[in-house]
Amino acid sequence: MALEKLQVDSLIVGGGIAGMQAALDLADQGYQVALVEKEASIGGKMIALSKVFPTLDCCSCITTPKMSAVAHHENIQLLTYCEVQALEENGGGYTALVEKKPRYVIEEDCTGCRECEYACPIDLPSDFDRGMGAYRAVRVPFSTAVPQVATLDIENCILCGKCEKVCPHGCIDFTQTARHFEIETTAIVLATGFEVTPKDAKKEYGAGQFDNVIDGLMMERLLAPTGPYGHVLRPGDGKEPDSIAYVQCAGSRDATLGIEYCSRVCCMYAIKQAMLLSGALPLADITIYYMDIRTFGKGYEQFYQTARAMGIEFVKGKVAQITEDENKNPVVRVEMLDEGSKIVERTHDLVVLSVGLLPGYNPGSLYGVPAADDGFVTVPSPNISPSETARPGIFVTGVAAGPMDIVDSIVLSGAAASEAAAYIEAHNSRVAVSESKGKKELAHV
Amino acid sequence: MSKRVDPGLLNELKQFGDVPIEACFNCGNCTAVCPLSTDETPFPRNNIRRIQVGLKEDILHSPDPWLCYYCGDCSATCPREAEPAEAQMTLRRWLTAQYDWTGLGRLFYTSPAWEVISVLITAVLVVLAFIVFHGPMVTGQVELNTFAPVDMIHLLDWVMAGLLSFFLLTNVARMHHFIIRKGTDAQVPLVLYITEAWQLAYNFVTQERFSKCDEKRPWINHLILVSGYVTMLVLILFLLPWFQTDNIYPFWHPQRWVGYYATIALIYGAGAALWGRFKKIRQMHRFSHLSDWLFPILLLIGAVTGILVHLFRYLGLPLATYTIYVIHLSMMVPMLVIEVPFGKWAHLAYRPLAIYFQRVKELAVEQQARKERLASSGA
Repeated sequence: MALEKLQVDSLIVGGGIAGMQAALDLADQGYQVALVEKEASIGGKMIALSKVFPTLDCCSCITTPKMSAVAHHENIQLLTYCEVQALEENGGGYTALVEKKPRYVIEEDCTGCRECEYACPIDLPSDFDRGMGAYRAVRVPFSTAVPQVATLDIENCILCGKCEKVCPHGCIDFTQTARHFEIETTAIVLATGFEVTPKDAKKEYGAGQFDNVIDGLMMERLLAPTGPYGHVLRPGDGKEPDSIAYVQCAGSRDATLGIEYCSRVCCMYAIKQAMLLSGALPLADITIYYMDIRTFGKGYEQFYQTARAMGIEFVKGKVAQITEDENKNPVVRVEMLDEGSKIVERTHDLVVLSVGLLPGYNPGSLYGVPAADDGFVTVPSPNISPSETARPGIFVTGVAAGPMDIVDSIVLSGAAASEAAAYIEAHNSRVAVSESKGKKELAHV
Repeated sequence: MSKRVDPGLLNELKQFGDVPIEACFNCGNCTAVCPLSTDETPFPRNNIRRIQVGLKEDILHSPDPWLCYYCGDCSATCPREAEPAEAQMTLRRWLTAQYDWTGLGRLFYTSPAWEVISVLITAVLVVLAFIVFHGPMVTGQVELNTFAPVDMIHLLDWVMAGLLSFFLLTNVARMHHFIIRKGTDAQVPLVLYITEAWQLAYNFVTQERFSKCDEKRPWINHLILVSGYVTMLVLILFLLPWFQTDNIYPFWHPQRWVGYYATIALIYGAGAALWGRFKKIRQMHRFSHLSDWLFPILLLIGAVTGILVHLFRYLGLPLATYTIYVIHLSMMVPMLVIEVPFGKWAHLAYRPLAIYFQRVKELAVEQQARKERLASSGA
């Protein structure tokens, strides 16, 4: 069987905020765009966040319109649950071989009514809620997912057939297999995003064994209106925390982890969460243990000063160790540098590790773009062309290019779209010239 | 109060140990992770900070580096890999050189050539002394006390002990001057020195502070080494006529058992130290200055040649006994002459003294504060 083919001007890899913005910026200029996302829904990490700094906008409120815009844009082909498997050069452009993983649900017929989800007897820890809530083996990934289509997790499915019986449109199809198709494109924009430092990376912090030591993304879910408990409760025992501590640089600027760079977002997200917690739990004491506070962006320093004025405690000193007392309260040990080098052990109800950003994916071998020692895609001339990789026609945006916040990701995606557009234009006019030359030569004959 | 800053301090310290002190960004992880650090004496970060800003006198007047036993937890978890534990080790070398008024300590620590050549010259001098002054060499049977009369050796022991004590004690006086006189404004009453004197002996014998590091093995190894060393020192300084004898005592005799114990402890302790350094087993073994090698090597050679003297005499080999005896002394004398007042041996004195001085200082400050409180409340 011949492969299905898709012809576009630009292929975007990754449907997080950076990829969506790049796709929209290209599509709005009239270019044909294919957006490939490996998960069942676009939205990336941002759709799981509570609010964004420094404006404290609701994340859902500003991400979902983008997701809808991507899904409904006439110039964008949205390809979720797909992965690029191979890439070939093709006369100045590229051909990507893409695999569409089976959803075991007929996408075209599914209306997202969730009857299958309600019928499914299997509860699983929800990845979307960072393991704190539960979801079903067949499900729409989360309430605002795009596309609103159910996906069946065959690994955890017991094939009871309940979903198949209740589906009003007969969409459940256990016989589905992976499909393959090709995308011919001129330019590629990589927006493969990030993962955070694994919770078990630092054994001094309990190596992920303490229930009441969570990471920043888990706190985002606790704070989000769509969060797993609907309220900020500590996961260990459901208690409402009265004292919450943030451990900064818990995975960045740490040579023992091999991560020497600053992740750039942790200071601001910790301050932001501390502010939100002051609203969610007005009586709670909130402490941020830090080495340096880095508030480099527009309006960020004011944001930090506001947090201080709100009564959030900032303690200079790197937390050296976290232990657990008999009530499963985390105890942090720190030298308080601004308090005459006092060495203190303080007990909190909940500790949040401000984990850093790691590259989510290494595109090196597949896309032929080298990554630097830190794992992020190399951008040879960041001052001149901030999104150009070492390979012509392949651009990079978002955290795939290096740690950055949402504000910077949006800016870089705009830059990537412009650079890709310029590349596409140059490519198209080259093709036009060579075609017209060919015609002239023919005319002479 | 103004403080004098020495911008050359970092470079000066680099001569005593190659540690990336400038990498430290003062996060405080090391101090918080250290099981020995306290609110009164928080370290090692404060010392690293002092080096970075050149507060030479603050370091000189502080006992902190001696209070660290190099478990290496700080180095293992340092986010900058700035090696805070090795910085403390480097400071101990530097302080040893600072306490020493002759300047030889600095010379030996900063110049490997000087250290090795001095050891060799001393060794050659010992051999020459024996060639010139040795007694009759009886070859029919082993008569070590004819070759090297024990009374003469014993007398020379005491002469050497007197000389080395002079240097060591004057250095200790300087240490006292720096840590107590300059290190605190509080008046230290004499009675405190007397009531706290037990600290000195207790810490010398038990090295209790070392045992508070999380890993106990290095402390046990060190304790064994010290027990062997001190036993041998007592035998040689006080009991030499009993110990160096041509009589071969029966197997059960304590003279033999005490000697065997000391030898085994020395070989085990020095061997474990050297093996650890060779294999880089623990944090404390990863960096090795020449002085870290030389002291245990000389101890090991001393112990091995010592037991060989005993063995050859036991086997009735006169020439072999005399020769190995000369070699034995040609290693032990430089070990003492070079290392006791000017090198690594000095830590036997400085470590317990630092704990003692720190204790005395803390109590004096407490007493003074109490007095001032009383005075102000009375007024």
